[in-house]
Amino acid sequence: MRLKRLAILTLSLSSLSATSAFSQEESATAWQIIDKFQTELIHVMKDGKKLGYAGRYEKLEPAVLNSHDLLKIARIVVGKEGEKLTEEQQKKLADVFTRISVASYAHNFKDFSGEEFIIDSEEETKNGGVVIHSHLTIPDDKPVKFDYMLKEKGASWRIINIIANGVSDLALKRSEYTAILQRDGFDALISQINEKIDNYAKQ
Amino acid sequence: MIKHSNMKLIVLACGVMASTNLMAKDKYTVADPYESFNRKMYDFNESVDHYVASPIANGYKAVTPDFLQTGVFNFFNNLKNFNVVINDVLQAKFSQSASDMGRLTMNTTAGLGGFFDVAKHVGLEQNDEDFDQTLAVWGIPKGSYLVLPLLGPMTTRSAPASAFDAATNPASYVSIPANYISAPVQFMSALNARANAEGALKFINEAAMDKYVFTRESFLQWRKNLESDGKVNMDDDLMADNIDDTSLTQNWRDYGKQFENTARSFSGVARQFDQTAHTYELANHKIAQVHQLRTK
Repeated sequence: MRLKRLAILTLSLSSLSATSAFSQEESATAWQIIDKFQTELIHVMKDGKKLGYAGRYEKLEPAVLNSHDLLKIARIVVGKEGEKLTEEQQKKLADVFTRISVASYAHNFKDFSGEEFIIDSEEETKNGGVVIHSHLTIPDDKPVKFDYMLKEKGASWRIINIIANGVSDLALKRSEYTAILQRDGFDALISQINEKIDNYAKQ
Repeated sequence: MIKHSNMKLIVLACGVMASTNLMAKDKYTVADPYESFNRKMYDFNESVDHYVASPIANGYKAVTPDFLQTGVFNFFNNLKNFNVVINDVLQAKFSQSASDMGRLTMNTTAGLGGFFDVAKHVGLEQNDEDFDQTLAVWGIPKGSYLVLPLLGPMTTRSAPASAFDAATNPASYVSIPANYISAPVQFMSALNARANAEGALKFINEAAMDKYVFTRESFLQWRKNLESDGKVNMDDDLMADNIDDTSLTQNWRDYGKQFENTARSFSGVARQFDQTAHTYELANHKIAQVHQLRTK
C-alpha cells in the first residue's frame, strides 16, 4: 500500500514538474528554449548509465514536448501524403512519431565524456522563424554543429528542424517517410517506426 | 553518444543508393533517375561490406593499438592535404590555402611524415576541399545521384571529379616505383577509411528505415553543406511552405487542440499546486506571528 502511494506521489510530482516547466516556457524566447533543452540533454547524458533507457526516456519526454512542435513536424514529414490519412491514422502517426522522437534522444544521448553545448548566435529568417546556431564540443574530436530552426507558437517558440553538420533532420525524415508511405503504405510505415522504437529500447 | 561528424565518413566510405519516379512528384524530395540501378549497386556494396570489408576492418581494429590507428589515419589524411591545397587555390581561397600549406608542411616534417597531427595543436584546423566542391564553385550543376560498385555514393559531377582528386593525391603514385609496395599502401588506405566509417554505418543501421534513401539524403545534404562551407539555408522552403496552421487539415488541427488542452490541464494542476503551496505559506506565516506574540 505504501509503495502504491509512493508511486502515485512520484507520478503526480513528475507531472507537476513537467507542467511547471511547460507553463514557464509559454513565454520563453527561442534562445531560452534551446538553452533549457540542451541543458537537460547534458544532465541526462551525465546520469545516462544510472538512469538506463527507461529513465532517460522519462526525463527527456517533457523536455522534448516542451521544446519541439512534434505535431507540426509529423505533418511536414508526411507531406501531401498526410492529407490522404484518416483521422484515426493521423492520431496514430502523431502518437508513434512522438514516441520515436523521444526514444531516439533517449537512445543516442546515453553517456557523457565531457561534451558541452555552446550557443553561438541567433538569426531571424525571412519566413518569421529563428535559427539558433550552436555546437557540441567533444573532447579529442571535431565539434558538431547544431542549427535549430524554430517557429513561434503562442507566446513561445518550438523547434521545427535540427540541422546537424549540415544534414537536416526534417528533410531526411520527409524523404524516408514519404518513400515508405508511397511504396508500402501507412501500416508498413507505422510498423517500421514501432520496430525502431523497440530496437532503441533493447540496445 | 553517436558522433554525428563520423556519419559523414560512413556515408561516404560505405557506398549506398537512391529513389524514385514517385518521389520526383514531391518538389522537396530528390529526383533520382538512376534509382533502380543505384539500389542494386547499394545492395551489392552492402554485401561486399558485410562479407569482406567489415570483418577485415573489425580484425584490424581488434589487433591494432589505438595510437597506431590514429597514426595511420593521420598519415593518409596528411597526404590528402596536397589535394586540399590545390583546390583551395582553384576556389580562390588564398588565405585558407596558406593555412593548409602550413598544416601540410608542419605535419610532414615535425609530425614525422604525417603520423602525428601536430598542426592541430597550434590551431591549424583541417579543411575539407576537393575537386567536386571546386566544380560547384565554378557553377557546374551537381547532376544526378549515382552509386557505383565499391566506390559508393556520388553524383554525375563528383564521379569524374574524384579521378582528379586521385591524381592529386600522392598515395596514388606509390605504385610507380614498385608494385609490391603499392598494394599494401592502397589496401591500408581503404582499410583505414572503412575502419573510421564504423560509427557512421552503425548509426545508419540504427536510425534508418530505408537505408538507401537515408544514405542518399545524408550524402547529398553533406555535399551541399561542404559546397556552401557550412552556411545554413536561412529560408528553408521545406519549413516555411508547410508551417502555417492553415495548411493543416481539420483532423490535424483537432488533434493539435487536444494536445494543447491536455497541456493546459497540466498547467491548471500546476497553478492549483502553487495556490495550495501559497496557502500553506500564509498559514505558516500566521503561526509564526502567533508564536512571536506568545514569546513576547
